[in-house]
Amino acid sequence: MSTSVVPETAGGYHVDVVESDNNRMVLSMGPQHPSTHGVLQIVTEIEGEVVTKASPEIGYLHTGIEKSAENLFWSQASTVIERMDYLSPLTNALCYYLAVEKLLGIDAQIPERANQVRVLTSELSRIASHCVWLGTGGIDLGALTAFFYCFDLRERILDLFESAGGARMHPNYIRVGGLAQDLPAGFLEQLDGVIAMYEPRMRDVRRLLQKNPILQDRMIDVGIIAPEEAVAWSLTGPVLRATGIAYDVRKAFPYSGYDRYEFDTPTRTEGDAYARFLVRLDEMDESMRIIRQVRKALAEPGPWQLTDTKFAPPPKETIALSMEALIHHFKLVSESFRVPPGDVYQAVEGPRGELGYYVVSNGDNRPWRVRTRPPSLYNLQVLKKIALGELIADMVVMIGSLDPVFGEVDR
Amino acid sequence: MPSSQTPPAGATALDPTAVRPDIADARVMRIVPAELQATLRRLQSDGFSMLLDIGGVDYPGREPRFDVVYHLLKLPQAEATIGEVGQPQRVRVLCGVPEDAPAVPTAVGLWPSADWAEREIFDLFGISFTGHPDMRRIQMPDDWEGHPLRKDYPLRGTARERTPRPSFALKSNVAAGTPASGRTAMALQKQIAQARARFDTHAAADGVAAAQSGANSAGAATTAGEAEPNELAERPVNLKSKDNTL
Amino acid sequence: MGLGGNSGGDFLLTTVDSVARWAQASSVWPLTMGLACCAIEMMTATAPEYDIARLGSEVFRASPRQADLMIVSGRVARKMAPIVKRLYDQMADPKWVISMGACASSGGVFDNYAIVQGVDTVIPVDVYVPGCPPTPDGLLYAVNLIQQQIKAGGRGGILARA
Repeated sequence: MSTSVVPETAGGYHVDVVESDNNRMVLSMGPQHPSTHGVLQIVTEIEGEVVTKASPEIGYLHTGIEKSAENLFWSQASTVIERMDYLSPLTNALCYYLAVEKLLGIDAQIPERANQVRVLTSELSRIASHCVWLGTGGIDLGALTAFFYCFDLRERILDLFESAGGARMHPNYIRVGGLAQDLPAGFLEQLDGVIAMYEPRMRDVRRLLQKNPILQDRMIDVGIIAPEEAVAWSLTGPVLRATGIAYDVRKAFPYSGYDRYEFDTPTRTEGDAYARFLVRLDEMDESMRIIRQVRKALAEPGPWQLTDTKFAPPPKETIALSMEALIHHFKLVSESFRVPPGDVYQAVEGPRGELGYYVVSNGDNRPWRVRTRPPSLYNLQVLKKIALGELIADMVVMIGSLDPVFGEVDR
Repeated sequence: MPSSQTPPAGATALDPTAVRPDIADARVMRIVPAELQATLRRLQSDGFSMLLDIGGVDYPGREPRFDVVYHLLKLPQAEATIGEVGQPQRVRVLCGVPEDAPAVPTAVGLWPSADWAEREIFDLFGISFTGHPDMRRIQMPDDWEGHPLRKDYPLRGTARERTPRPSFALKSNVAAGTPASGRTAMALQKQIAQARARFDTHAAADGVAAAQSGANSAGAATTAGEAEPNELAERPVNLKSKDNTL
Repeated sequence: MGLGGNSGGDFLLTTVDSVARWAQASSVWPLTMGLACCAIEMMTATAPEYDIARLGSEVFRASPRQADLMIVSGRVARKMAPIVKRLYDQMADPKWVISMGACASSGGVFDNYAIVQGVDTVIPVDVYVPGCPPTPDGLLYAVNLIQQQIKAGGRGGILARA
């Protein structure tokens, strides 16, 4: 194959002209493309419709979150960290705060109710995130109805986040030592409404999609990953469980009281896109199962925040009455708390896989380093392998089934 | 915004990884780059089949300056149920990389997923991985200069750090900040008095509201002329009021 | 905006112009320029609860050649900025830009090396929407403002130049 690269400028834009004498064409999919699920550029070499080489290029959403976190207080860093995996923000915040609480040595003292609400928000985030996956995955295949059904369910969940934390996305509801505030009045009734709505809605969605011959045609035997490959490529989450390895961080390294709830870890063995689809649907059902158990426990009130005012601000009512409370509040707002030196790796089971934070503290009131273990980055990398020899249309299905979020991939 | 208060010296650790808090998150090993390949290979054959993550950390005061941190997970490779997966173990391998020779052998041969993680460390820290098939930047544009996550790289970037803040950020309706004291207050008071004197001279010359400004200027001149420097130092400045009353 | 001094001709062109403005305002088709979290709220604005289709934005076009409105939704990284500019250049006149969210309007929470401090340093913006992310209601209001801008003239209209 003879190639010559002649850089030209056309109207101020740099253009690479590659001449070759075979049928290969270099096609740049993205970074603006309707089916790349975000800002992903895949430089594909194709022969006809068949992909002969796929190299994803990332970095189009690089935000410098980790560097920003190094310049913010421990309690402020979660505002930027929440914006990594923007489909399940509270999961990021939870993982980060679990790491900080481990460094502070207070992880065993988090109140029961705070743990329950943390589990509740994690599972609601998982369902909301899978709703987006299912909706956008459906759009990729042309199934627009799924989008409307799923986003309506997601709206009800975002309403819950808004009433509890104040914002639909990025509520910053989880804080060191517990929560920002208790669940508001009427929340549990609202939650009951969502629980009641979930089952018929998912029944409809499954009826639309699960046995749909078009969906099955497009997803079965597409993007097959073998279990050894999955481990070699560091895949986690539904992608790994669809290959047959039942690794779930909630069961392997339980946190926030997950070992007290009864839930299964759905797995499949085929390892193709349809298996990943089924695993995620089953995961949503398991999440709802956990939510029902948490709902029963939440009926009893209790403390939702550690009372140690070294980390947690004192109740607002006491600030006008107690000098100590005022001073603690002032100190926390103006210079935050100090975390003893050390490093820790904390992982949670996010909707995409094992989300981990390697947090290093040098004793200061700001993090020294917050290194993210982004599940989407590792999940997306396997595209280089599974797209080879497949059609472009199949590559679109594969990206959807890997479910990357670019806030996390690029950070 | 973070406060400008710096913590007292001596309270911070130069090498936080030397401090081992009582957290059971992973078994920790510290090695040098020369033994990296052997260690990773041995761990992989030991059953630590999944590379969780490769990250970089910068400790500027310490020798070696950088740490490349590998997290590995012991996970069965074939299909495995929850019972067979059991309680996996984690290991953390800390590889110290000196600043003058920031190169480390690549782990791509052992785990193909190390590809992008190592590119990211190269991009953001400047540590290159020998033997990597595609050692180029991944997050920043190809022509970027500098390695952003190093501690000596400014947060806002080299170009923007040199440009001043927009002027509207300095103007405010509220006299912000701690009132000046000491020599600064004296100098400030002198400037205010001089400025007012100039204004009052013009006003007197124009003959506009002579009585009003005359009274004021008399007051201001008296104040500026008669007050002791020390008294001025104690008195806070209110730039908005005409005769500097609070 | 008439050609020549013929009042009859002016009237005709003004009527055509206002019909054109009405047509443009009633069918503002956005470009799928979804970058980050705000993109999810933009997608939610197309969902049944908020339904941007009732404002005329029935379809989001993937190709800039076919879109009128670029909704820059999300933080614009340094690497992405030239691409945003290229896409804006590829859009046909008349075109409008909504800068959705704090990051697109001013850099938002991210005052650092990686994020462009406001997409208006790269392309001209017509409406800024504050929020992090703004609720879909905010985006709907922004599209309403764009419609008002189109009807009032300026960059809209069959004879106006951007």
